[in-house]
Amino acid sequence: MSEQAFIRDLREIVGGSNVLASSVDLQLYQYDGYLEEHRPEAVVFVQSTEEVAKVVQCCNRHGRPFVPRGGGTNLTGGTIPFGGGAVIEMIRMNRLLEIDIPNLRARVQPGMFNLELGNALAPLGYQFIPDPASQKAATLGGNVAENAGGPHCFKYGVTSNHVLGLTVVLPDGRVEKLGGKAADIPGFDLTGLFVGSEGTLGICTEVLVKVVRQTESVKTLLAIYDSIEEGSETVSAIVAAGMVPATLEMMDQLVIHAVEASLHCGLPMDCATLLLIEVDGLRDDLESQAAAISDLCRAHGAREVRVAKDDAERALLWAGRRGAFGAVARLAPSFLVCDGTVPRTALPQVLKKVSQVAAKYDLRIPNVFHAGDGNLHPLILFDWRDADMKARVLKAGMEILSLCAELGGTISGEHGVGLEKLDAMRLVMSEADIQAQRRVKTTFDPANLANPGKIFPAKEVACER
Amino acid sequence: MNAELRSRLESIVGPGLVYGPGEPVDGVRPTLAVRPGTQDEVSAVVRACAEAGAAMIPLGGGTSLGLGNPPARADVLVHLDRLDRVVEWDPANLCISAEAGMRLEALQALVAKDRTVLPLDPPGLRRVTLGGMVAANPSGPCRLQYGTVRDWVLGMRVVLPDGERIHCGGRVIKNVSGYDMNKLFIRSLGCLGIITEVTFKLLPMPARRAAVIGRFPDAATAWAVVGRTLASFLLPEALEFLNVEAAQLLGGPPGTCVLAVSLSGSSETVDRQVRDFTGFFQDGGGTADVLQEAAASRAWEGIRDLLEGAYDPILCRIAVPLSATPALVAAAEGMAREAGLKAVVTAHAATGVLRVLLAPGADPHPGEALMVLEGLRREAEAAEGSLVLEAAPRSLKARFDAWGTPPGGVDMMKRLKTEFDPLGICNPGRFVAGI
Ligand SMILES: Cc1cc2nc3c(=O)[nH]c(=O)nc-3n(C[C@H](O)[C@H](O)[C@H](O)COP(=O)(O)OP(=O)(O)OC[C@H]3O[C@@H](n4cnc5c(N)ncnc54)[C@H](O)[C@@H]3O)c2cc1C
Ligand SMILES: Cc1cc2nc3c(=O)[nH]c(=O)nc-3n(C[C@H](O)[C@H](O)[C@H](O)COP(=O)(O)OP(=O)(O)OC[C@H]3O[C@@H](n4cnc5c(N)ncnc54)[C@H](O)[C@@H]3O)c2cc1C
Repeated sequence: MSEQAFIRDLREIVGGSNVLASSVDLQLYQYDGYLEEHRPEAVVFVQSTEEVAKVVQCCNRHGRPFVPRGGGTNLTGGTIPFGGGAVIEMIRMNRLLEIDIPNLRARVQPGMFNLELGNALAPLGYQFIPDPASQKAATLGGNVAENAGGPHCFKYGVTSNHVLGLTVVLPDGRVEKLGGKAADIPGFDLTGLFVGSEGTLGICTEVLVKVVRQTESVKTLLAIYDSIEEGSETVSAIVAAGMVPATLEMMDQLVIHAVEASLHCGLPMDCATLLLIEVDGLRDDLESQAAAISDLCRAHGAREVRVAKDDAERALLWAGRRGAFGAVARLAPSFLVCDGTVPRTALPQVLKKVSQVAAKYDLRIPNVFHAGDGNLHPLILFDWRDADMKARVLKAGMEILSLCAELGGTISGEHGVGLEKLDAMRLVMSEADIQAQRRVKTTFDPANLANPGKIFPAKEVACER
Repeated sequence: MNAELRSRLESIVGPGLVYGPGEPVDGVRPTLAVRPGTQDEVSAVVRACAEAGAAMIPLGGGTSLGLGNPPARADVLVHLDRLDRVVEWDPANLCISAEAGMRLEALQALVAKDRTVLPLDPPGLRRVTLGGMVAANPSGPCRLQYGTVRDWVLGMRVVLPDGERIHCGGRVIKNVSGYDMNKLFIRSLGCLGIITEVTFKLLPMPARRAAVIGRFPDAATAWAVVGRTLASFLLPEALEFLNVEAAQLLGGPPGTCVLAVSLSGSSETVDRQVRDFTGFFQDGGGTADVLQEAAASRAWEGIRDLLEGAYDPILCRIAVPLSATPALVAAAEGMAREAGLKAVVTAHAATGVLRVLLAPGADPHPGEALMVLEGLRREAEAAEGSLVLEAAPRSLKARFDAWGTPPGGVDMMKRLKTEFDPLGICNPGRFVAGI
């Protein structure tokens, strides 16, 4: 009964065809890149800030939760409608509203794909820095909500460093403009707080980003190693030598094989690991930087260092890196992308332990990751039809996150907490830390309607003080 | 209440470390002052204040106690100067954690030993403390290349207004484990709690440093060069414009304005940029003096701290979209002149941030400053920017809000303040919209 009224009201706001409520349609929105499934009551396609506000107000009236959804590429279950209610699909709000070169800004709708913004800026000689490997299918709203990173974040920072302002629909349906075109808008940095909040503090309906001049020149290197340790030690050595490459990415043999089998990038099949290194900036010192890095790589055991000669060679190397997750899908029916961060110098240690975890649980775990940031992505392969294996996967994932925490790192570098890491939060946070975050959540969303069930672990049983 | 609170505080920190009255904060004198020595003690002090309902004002280097509105109440001044230890220094991973009372200069000197830097250069760098810097979010010319405090803080420890201690962020570059709570406390001016420890990300120290300082016959020629720079691939650390009055303070021929660039990096890139900028400046009708290494650093300190130590300053900071900067500089000069004042203006020419010092002109009319500020705020806000008062005499502050029109989301800010500080005892009344 009440379900009917809810859907009727939603249809009134956005038009009948923009609400999906049939069982088949809903089934398509009950999952994302993570392993759990929950069915929404409705999926609503929105086109404007006003519509989003009205839809959220409608959810408030009916006491129904809502979950914003962009490309659905997140890997932690962030878009799974855990509490039912409405999935608010942002993908049709995909317009580029303004490119303002004199002020080095762009204003976009949240449903725009990250790569599309890049493509719009490139002919003008400008770029938007955050470039998650999923940039073809991930939306800017999703990037904001997850505080996405990417290969270039080692030098240039993550999404949060490049977002200046947001228009948001708060959980009660009010619209607010946070931040703005000018720097240092007085007041608390609500824009900064909203970035990375995983759709739990409201829905962003407009994003104001920084754009920057493209760099004059880049050089891309591929260093080839016969041992993982040597590769990961090189990463620290480059930084210790005072260099800050734009990217420092790493992939291991299993990944290389998968990439070669599907993308044919010309990667060597018989090595243990590869480092993809890119330096950028003024052209004057790139040659010498590339030479210094090549020397360091060799000094740390690289058997060969290739330097991309032209854009075509460079593109080929990057295709391998960007396509790695997809290529790994060849190796097993499913994989869980683990995401943890350690201080860079702990990389050799943590990689060794990851392989021990793989052995312990009898699983295969290839690695492809942002080595410069210490942000690893063990990909735990499995077969989703095998329940026992799935249980081992979850245990192995948790064990890897514990390792990251023990080594001074954290439980998520870029994919967020979502549903996956609720319990892992306690590995890096005290009850008081979590409680402070909960206070933010209740201030924004007293009725707990915005993407409920995410981020916060179950309350701990009160123990003696 | 005072005697009771005083003895409670003494029992926490020891008798010699509580005194009263405290030093005035923007004209308001706290009854007591306390100097806790550890983060636990800060927590205990805050708990004691909370239980007594006493309003607290955290104090770092005291360089920007003029920022914001005068405190609505001030009972206890919490000096953080004894919290000045390094907690953990990890050069290999380019990060350092230190207590909030440590001076930025001391931290810079320390990390320089390992050839790293924290590339933040707020004015008054010598006295600024880490906690004060994070709370007040100042910025210097180098924000052009390196951004602001928020881009360099990886984590922090905060004592909340009820005395609870929390930890935000961590010590890794990428961290999306829950909300980015650092952002809540950065630039909150200490009204959501007392920051007791900060973890910063560091950068390898550049191999070389140079500066090119140019003098231009008028502002228009200087801004044309700024435009050319922005369209180029060049990557200066800082690009600073000084109007004629400000350039005068720096010495040199009268009637000219200054454009200065700071360059750092490898020898090759510094040489190239020195060459290119010299060309830009000269083509643009200016002169170009090239300074290297220590001389360059000294010149930049001079530029950074130009507006420091002014007599009874009326100082404001304006932030507008980049392209509106020249118009705001001109407006400041014009309005000041009409009011019989002088506007000394320095602008981070490529980030849209400028600072205006109003000084007595040839024929001062006291009171006219208010009109200048109001006019400038109107211009700044019309350009989607803001004007914030950094320092002014109390009489002026009584008639001019330090922050201006409340920003978007102000209701949520007030609700956050109430949620975290229900008693309203943390730096009350100083911040935006009476927070
Ligand atoms: C192959 C692959 C590679 C990846 N590589 C990277 C990488 O390099 N770096 C990285 O950081 N991530 C990476 N990811 C993860 C993912 O792509 C990013 O987190 C991305 O930002 C999610 O965007 P999306 O549009 O798909 O968001 P969704 O998955 O649709 O949503 C993600 C979260 O954001 C919320 N949300 C979505 N839109 C809005 C909105 N408008 N307002 C408020 N909340 C909203 C959702 O509720 C959900 O909690 C990768 C994923 C895949 C599958
Ligand atoms: C000459 C001069 C020029 C300046 N120019 C600029 C400028 O151009 N741009 C700019 O942005 N700033 C400017 N400032 C301000 C100054 O550089 C910064 O605000 C500085 O970082 C403050 O540091 P402090 O240690 O002196 O803090 P204090 O002045 O002691 O405190 C600043 C504020 O933060 C609070 N606070 C201090 N410590 C803590 C803590 N540990 N936890 C919570 N709250 C705390 C205080 O209560 C106070 O409200 C200038 C200051 C001077 C003296």
